[in-house]
Amino acid sequence: MAKYLKKIYIGLIILFLYLPIGVLIVSSFNNTKVLGKWGGFTLDWYKNLFENEAILNSLKNTLLIAVLAATISTVLGVLGCVAISKMKRSTKSVINGVTNIPMLNAEIVTGLAFMLLFIGIGMKLTFNTLLIAHITFCLPYVVLSVMPKIEQSDRSMYEAARDLGATPLQAFFKITLPEIMPGVLSGFVMAFTMSIDDFVITYFTRGSGIDTLSTKIYTEVKKGIKPEMYALSTLLFVTVFILMILANRAPSEKREKKPMSRKKRIFTFAASGVVAVLIIIAFIFSMKDNSPTSNKELYVYNWGEYIDPEVIKMFEEETGYKVYYEEFETNEDMYTIVDRGARIYDVICPSDYMIAKMIENGLLAEINYENIPNISYIGEEYMELSKGFDPENKYSVPYCYGTVGIMYNTTMVDDVVDSWDILFDEKYAGNILMQASVRDAFCVALSELGYSINSLNEDEIKEATELLIKQKPLVQAYVVDQVRDKMIDNRAAIGVIYSGEAEYMREENPDLEYVVPKEGTNFWVDSWVIPSNAENKEAAEEWINFMCRPEIALLNFEYILYASPNTGVKELIEDEELLNSQALYPSDEVLARCEVYEYLGEDGDAMYDKYWTEVGAASSELADEEEEDTGMGRMFVILNIVGIVLVLVLLIVWNIREGIKERKRK
Amino acid sequence: MSRKRLKNTLVAGPYLVWIIGFIVIPLMFVLYYGLTDGDGKFTLDNVRAISEPIYYEALFLSLDLALVCTIICFLLAFPLALILRNMKITNKGFIVFLFILPMWMNFLLRTYAWQAILDINGVLDTFLGFFGIEGFSIINTPAAIVLGMVYDFLPFMVLPIYNTMIKIDDNVINAARDLGASYSQTLMKIILPLSMPGIVSGVIMVFVPSLTTFAISDILGGGKMLLIGNIIESKVKRAGNMNLGAGLSLILMIFIVVNMLFQARYSKGEDKSSLI
Repeated sequence: MAKYLKKIYIGLIILFLYLPIGVLIVSSFNNTKVLGKWGGFTLDWYKNLFENEAILNSLKNTLLIAVLAATISTVLGVLGCVAISKMKRSTKSVINGVTNIPMLNAEIVTGLAFMLLFIGIGMKLTFNTLLIAHITFCLPYVVLSVMPKIEQSDRSMYEAARDLGATPLQAFFKITLPEIMPGVLSGFVMAFTMSIDDFVITYFTRGSGIDTLSTKIYTEVKKGIKPEMYALSTLLFVTVFILMILANRAPSEKREKKPMSRKKRIFTFAASGVVAVLIIIAFIFSMKDNSPTSNKELYVYNWGEYIDPEVIKMFEEETGYKVYYEEFETNEDMYTIVDRGARIYDVICPSDYMIAKMIENGLLAEINYENIPNISYIGEEYMELSKGFDPENKYSVPYCYGTVGIMYNTTMVDDVVDSWDILFDEKYAGNILMQASVRDAFCVALSELGYSINSLNEDEIKEATELLIKQKPLVQAYVVDQVRDKMIDNRAAIGVIYSGEAEYMREENPDLEYVVPKEGTNFWVDSWVIPSNAENKEAAEEWINFMCRPEIALLNFEYILYASPNTGVKELIEDEELLNSQALYPSDEVLARCEVYEYLGEDGDAMYDKYWTEVGAASSELADEEEEDTGMGRMFVILNIVGIVLVLVLLIVWNIREGIKERKRK
Repeated sequence: MSRKRLKNTLVAGPYLVWIIGFIVIPLMFVLYYGLTDGDGKFTLDNVRAISEPIYYEALFLSLDLALVCTIICFLLAFPLALILRNMKITNKGFIVFLFILPMWMNFLLRTYAWQAILDINGVLDTFLGFFGIEGFSIINTPAAIVLGMVYDFLPFMVLPIYNTMIKIDDNVINAARDLGASYSQTLMKIILPLSMPGIVSGVIMVFVPSLTTFAISDILGGGKMLLIGNIIESKVKRAGNMNLGAGLSLILMIFIVVNMLFQARYSKGEDKSSLI
């Protein structure tokens, strides 16, 4: 009986560990893009995978970094271990302590430390900085598995070899190395695995044009992961699985007679890992580079899902440039990276208020419009509108525009939706999706209160903050582009979203409807700009000119369904319904209610950030009585402080006790 | 003798340069940024920021969730390790392999898969729907975050405990039983103390990452709960306030240093490769 219970227990834990993996594997054969909803069997994602250069590139980076980091950290680590093992005990423990820091420290602190180091000494974030970071956090794993092996190894063997005339090098390679080999191999495999799985440190230290699988996935999480990613992960997982099984099964006949020694077992385990790595190396080098070979490079930084990938290929083919295309989630995110000069881009596509901020801080270069003849296709009214943030039309070329509004599901909402009020209606608690970006969230609250969305009046912002905090218990989640997938899949009734998503969502789910609230909202423009530190300004201008070509703008429009300011596009659209769409082409009456975001200045930004953090930290419980709420809050704080003090005191007392015990023993 | 020492230092050279250059100095930079303002002037404001409710509440919430996560991991891992130990599996590599293997599927993807499982109309919701159970959903709650943490960090608890347990000599246990100790007495007085080094490193390997995570709370918390990791990430990545991010990191490091001291006490003379 107990035996079965034990087996069931192990089974449940294994199920727990492998359930998400099962979900991902199933999803890789799933005919819908929505994770967790079955839509029929397909192999398309596997087919698409091998055509998706962005994913293949990130795979290549991930593997290359893992191989290099694991190799270099193993060599460094072994060398270090050999030397350190001969040192004095006290020195040894200090060095060991330092080595262990990256393993015991919080990843976020390690990542931040690297970022500050590289920025501090004026090093641009590149492939090399990423590699340095990976080598460093792999080191402790190598040392941890090599050090004990060296300490266990028999020094007299080495001494004997030396006495018999071997040079230190010979003695090392013939005696020491073979003896510690299992440790070296398992250290290597551990380092390799850690490097592959790392996200946080990579997130802080990667350079422009270098995406690893982790960072690629993280940006995709926000806007819906491409199923090709599941296909790739499944392939990786299954490959490793098979290799490991083979390595574990192969010598099974022998084992029955004579159990393998621990050393030998680890050895096979590690050896199989090494074989896997070798295969991967071969894979990296066999992966053909589809892009034209030239050193003409163009670094593009754009919003997620904001271009037809075909267009990038067409541009590469026509001009011979190699395009490194990267995506950001929010304007603020992009600004931090460009401002610090941490990564260098040639052409970027920020929104209105951010462009104003970049101009004010001297981050943008004037565009030479002579190189962009196609600008004549951009409607006059949009160039006029751009003057709101680019007063002389010197720095930017409009790419897309739209409004921020409410998307709702007509089967789940029976009220008339024409106002922001619906977002504060308790009837829809748990069914509301809010925007996670500062300006958009405050846009909702400020408009609802009847204030300007560019308010700098602290009292008004405080009021808006209170409103957002009051709304928090009703909100299902704060998201950016995920509104799209969640609403298509009927997971929420109401969401705040950009008008450009509306048409795509209605195609997928006809129950959805988009409205611009009567209180007014934000009218936004995203434009191409060239940063002042761009390394290839001509290519950037060529890119912008290419984007303004009506046929290309049409391709982009059909792919992303965001309204284009290109007059040529409107003529080329055949679909009547799209042309009449209120979401895409808001009427003048609607436009009159809208405001463009202005740059608020550094203090304004800081103020909004402060209050937004307050919203983020607020409780999401429905507070019935305010007094009770603060009482609970105080209890929470006091209990925590008492807890921390108690634990610290206990640890110190215990530590001293152990110390005394030890001294007595001696 | 001194020449030999010199030579030895030379061999260690690259390693020492590396750990000083890329472990010690970056931490100095965190210290520098944490203790200065945007213009490079000395200030304690970034560290003192922790006295503001929004920051200390996030820190406390993170500590609580990390604690709960660590306890759950321990409660799950200890019996599991004990069962596995008693099964006397000859191929130890297989156990390690079983727990390391999931790592080859990217951790963000696995966490994202949990979102799909727990979401409204998600896998679990649909599955329970067959049995007429409806409206059961923990997505976007602290429970979902803890579940994600337990999921991601459980192997780091299981492996060290298992690795120390298999080194316990059967004779010691048998001796205790022969001398009349009950099963629970053997467990408490023999097995538990002898597995302590593994438990300590397991606790640290789980507690620290769960204290500082920001991706898990982002994906499973629906952006409704800010952990201290989320705050540092958003200060650095979104608001561009490196100094405040560094200052809060310094606070976080206090907890990590305590952890390290705790471990230093136990790992002495032990086989440190317990993870592998």
